Amino acid sequence: MIEFVDVRRQYGTKTAVAGLNLTVASGELFAFLGPNGAGKTTTIKMLVGLLRPTSGTIRVCGFDVAAESRDARRLLSYVPDEPYLYDKLSGREFLRFIVEMYGLDPRVGAERIEREIAAFELADFVDDLTESYSHGMKQRLVFASAMLHDPAVLVIDEPMVGLDPRSARILKDLLRAKSRAGTTIFLSTHTLGLAEEIADRIGILDHGQLMFLGTVTELEQELQLHETNLERLFLELTSSPATNGSPPAPESKPRTTA
Amino acid sequence: MLTNVARPLAPPEELTALRRLRQRLLSNTVRQALRQSRLRILAVVVLTALFWLGLFALFVEAFQFLETSIPDDHTHLETVRKIFEIFFLSLTVMLVFSSGVILYGGLYRSRETTFLLTTPARPELIFHHKFQEALLFSSWGFVLLGSPMLVAYGLASVAPWHYYATVLPFLIAFIYIPAAWGATICMLLVRWLPRRRRHLVLAASALALLLVGWLIWQLARGPQSALMTPDWFDEMLVRLRFSETRLLPSWWLSTGLLEAANDHLVESLSFLILTIANAMFFHQVALGCARALYLPGYHSLVTRPTGRRKQSVPWIDRLLERLTWPLSREMRLLIIKDARLFRRDPVQWSQFLIFFGLLGMYFLNIRRLSYDLNHATWVNMVSFLNLAVVGLILSTFTSRFIFPLISLEGRRFWILGRLPVRRDTILWGKFLFAALGSIVPCTLLIIASDTMLGVVPAILAVHLLTCFMLCVGLSGLAVGMGAKMPNLQEESPSRIAAGFGGTLNLVLSTIYIAAIVTLTAVPCHFYLVTQQTDPYGAWFNPARLRWMMAGGITTSVLLGILTAVWPMWIGLKAFRRMEF
Repeated sequence: MIEFVDVRRQYGTKTAVAGLNLTVASGELFAFLGPNGAGKTTTIKMLVGLLRPTSGTIRVCGFDVAAESRDARRLLSYVPDEPYLYDKLSGREFLRFIVEMYGLDPRVGAERIEREIAAFELADFVDDLTESYSHGMKQRLVFASAMLHDPAVLVIDEPMVGLDPRSARILKDLLRAKSRAGTTIFLSTHTLGLAEEIADRIGILDHGQLMFLGTVTELEQELQLHETNLERLFLELTSSPATNGSPPAPESKPRTTA
Repeated sequence: MLTNVARPLAPPEELTALRRLRQRLLSNTVRQALRQSRLRILAVVVLTALFWLGLFALFVEAFQFLETSIPDDHTHLETVRKIFEIFFLSLTVMLVFSSGVILYGGLYRSRETTFLLTTPARPELIFHHKFQEALLFSSWGFVLLGSPMLVAYGLASVAPWHYYATVLPFLIAFIYIPAAWGATICMLLVRWLPRRRRHLVLAASALALLLVGWLIWQLARGPQSALMTPDWFDEMLVRLRFSETRLLPSWWLSTGLLEAANDHLVESLSFLILTIANAMFFHQVALGCARALYLPGYHSLVTRPTGRRKQSVPWIDRLLERLTWPLSREMRLLIIKDARLFRRDPVQWSQFLIFFGLLGMYFLNIRRLSYDLNHATWVNMVSFLNLAVVGLILSTFTSRFIFPLISLEGRRFWILGRLPVRRDTILWGKFLFAALGSIVPCTLLIIASDTMLGVVPAILAVHLLTCFMLCVGLSGLAVGMGAKMPNLQEESPSRIAAGFGGTLNLVLSTIYIAAIVTLTAVPCHFYLVTQQTDPYGAWFNPARLRWMMAGGITTSVLLGILTAVWPMWIGLKAFRRMEF
């Protein structure tokens, strides 16, 4: 469903992503972890078409994101860490705009809007202008808009920022349900507990390279093996001398238990 | 056919969705404004109407003056043609720059386009959406300035009905052409020279300035006939021949409108069709560029390497720190921070340079402009008018850049709010930044103007004092009003300045400039008149006028202090209570 083949992204002489090879299967919930500046956001922006890889290919449902950008974007939904909303639109008007942009039948669109309003408990404020929303309310609206066209791939950057515990619970349950229903979910997070709790597979990125790639079960085995927890493993992987201050050699392989 | 799954939209459907979005945004904004700030809307409408009527009256007077000054029909028509051609040619250049700059912000720097690029929207249609927006933002001023002139000419020349009917289609078709040029240049620059784009824009601005300077020199150079005589008009027409280039849309527009005014409907319509055809052609060229260049340009811009800044303090900051030594440490730091932000925002300093540069060029060329420099009252009038112009230009800057400072601080207030600095210090810091930053260039301009005019030292001293009061008063007004009427929701300084508070600040600034210049200029004028002749009897005797001058200067100083202190006092009170 999502395929990164030898993806590299340079900013001048600086390497943000160094030869990423990764496949995320249909219906999989993949969590991307890494310290600040590891290359997570660059990877996500390349995946949604906002950046172009310096070399390599990214495919979404078989479509090359660079060459067949529109086809790929039609199947995708992206929730950024700082979502954009039109201040002078109400939540419902924003949802209607998304329905129209994705070419949904107005009747189907109206049903989906009601479905998402109920799922994300937006009814109390959905007809107010979004300029009056709190960060959490905006985040819920953006999630609702991302679900409207039942995307095949859902890409989320830091999903829990600004959500209260109830909304966070709703979102976690919804992501699991969507994943079970066949949606591929690619999320980046700093919240190790979230990755541990809902992800099928976890990738740890540092200096643009995958340092660890494995399923949660594999990760648990790794953790028992080393008598450690995810936080310790994360710190160990992302603060080793080899990666401290300089990127690892491009040919280095991620640590996997598979 | 619409389905229950996402499907690719046809271009017209996408355009409809984006058009509906714009309409919805506009109607919500208007509805909200009507509900929440009717007074503000009323003030904006009334001020705009007054501005339009003022311009209209000015143009009616000007066209009547031309009618009486130039009895020869051919010369009269040619003079009007030149006025139209120069006006529309200047607007062409301005529209190319403004639409290019606005589109750069809209296409490459706005969060909206980043969002739209993640939807299935076609890049060229996102361009089209932002192009319409840029067209509106960059051309409303053109319509506001151009329409009173064209209506006034229609009335003065007793134009037939179809002249008025073609004005709007002509204007709309015309503005598409420079806007499309600006858009195409912007996309080419970003795509092929993303790292050099600023240098190129600066070089183009410098070139435009040089061209304007050359134009002023062309008009003003050498011996000339007496000002505003038929011979003078003939001489000017020869010097302005360059605007007759028939490949310029400004020429098509001018000729088409003049043909319509002279009841030549067919000729006028042919120019209208020519303008519309070119507008459509260049719009298609811009759309084609967007299809090929927008997305690659966007990618090359966001992935360009950013150079690391040096850790050492720049010399200009060290100099500023030394120059502000009498102030407290906190105040100096705040002033240096604001100066640094100003320096790093090319929009601010480039506009500052362009306007003050143009004024400087005009002042340095003032001797060539055929003013009667041997006549003291004429020199006095021109010098005070120059002082007023400096004040008016400064007021646009204080409204555009100083007034929004507190509003912009609102979102970042946690930075200043957690520092051990009193809120009063923050506001006074902004006042000093504005006042000190404006005193130096304004004083230099006034010295240049008065030196070229050969103004006597006593009047120069009065001008410098007035200029000082203008800088202090306008700074106090902008900072105080900015603190009293902030817009903490808005991130764009231009939108904050265009709001009710910014508009009110501009209006009050204009009234203040008129008052303070009149208070000093009128007594000086009468004093100089009585030095040359004594036709006014005892009331205008020199002793009395000296007292009047002293009174005028004292009143203007008091007015300046009041204009600086009162808004600051109101602003300080509001700023102390303000919640962020």
